Amino acid sequence: MNTGPYSDEKVQRFVHERFTPVRSECFWDNPTPLMQKYGIKWTPTFLVHDPEGKEHHRFVGYVPEDDLFAQLGLGIGKMYYDTDRFAEAIDQFRTVIDRHPEAGAVPEAIFLKGVAEYKHTHDAKALRRAYDALAANHPKSEWARRADPYAAIPL
Amino acid sequence: MAGIQWERDFGSAMEKARQTGKPVFQDFWFEG
Repeated sequence: MNTGPYSDEKVQRFVHERFTPVRSECFWDNPTPLMQKYGIKWTPTFLVHDPEGKEHHRFVGYVPEDDLFAQLGLGIGKMYYDTDRFAEAIDQFRTVIDRHPEAGAVPEAIFLKGVAEYKHTHDAKALRRAYDALAANHPKSEWARRADPYAAIPL
Repeated sequence: MAGIQWERDFGSAMEKARQTGKPVFQDFWFEG
């Protein structure tokens, strides 16, 4: 039950402090209604829902502790972002970027932090800063390519 | 801590989430 990253006490504490954790068992020969509802095709699949049940983030496949922290933090950030709580989203994305700089979720966090800052302040320089950070630290990531149009924004 | 105390019922988890305001972390898993 608490193997892999779940055996880490910091992960356990984080999950309990920030989430309501639920495990849903999958059966491939007789998919459950939840598997069908959420289109689950492989395990593990992880979803982050807001308290009203709207899904904001999902990731598939085993993740070690650092990536799990970052993915869960990104999920919280996207929940805030999707509901126009941009200041909270910015703080959450910044936490992911600062605490888990090597995690795979970081390029998306940098991109969304830039967009959330732009939406919060209406200052387009935030988008350029996101591009600069991605170009400098994650130049081969898909998110750097998505941010490419922001390279033309003057600082 | 004594491990993560997982809810097993999604409806119960959602009810708890509404009461606490905490988002739901759902792990779809397979015991192969």
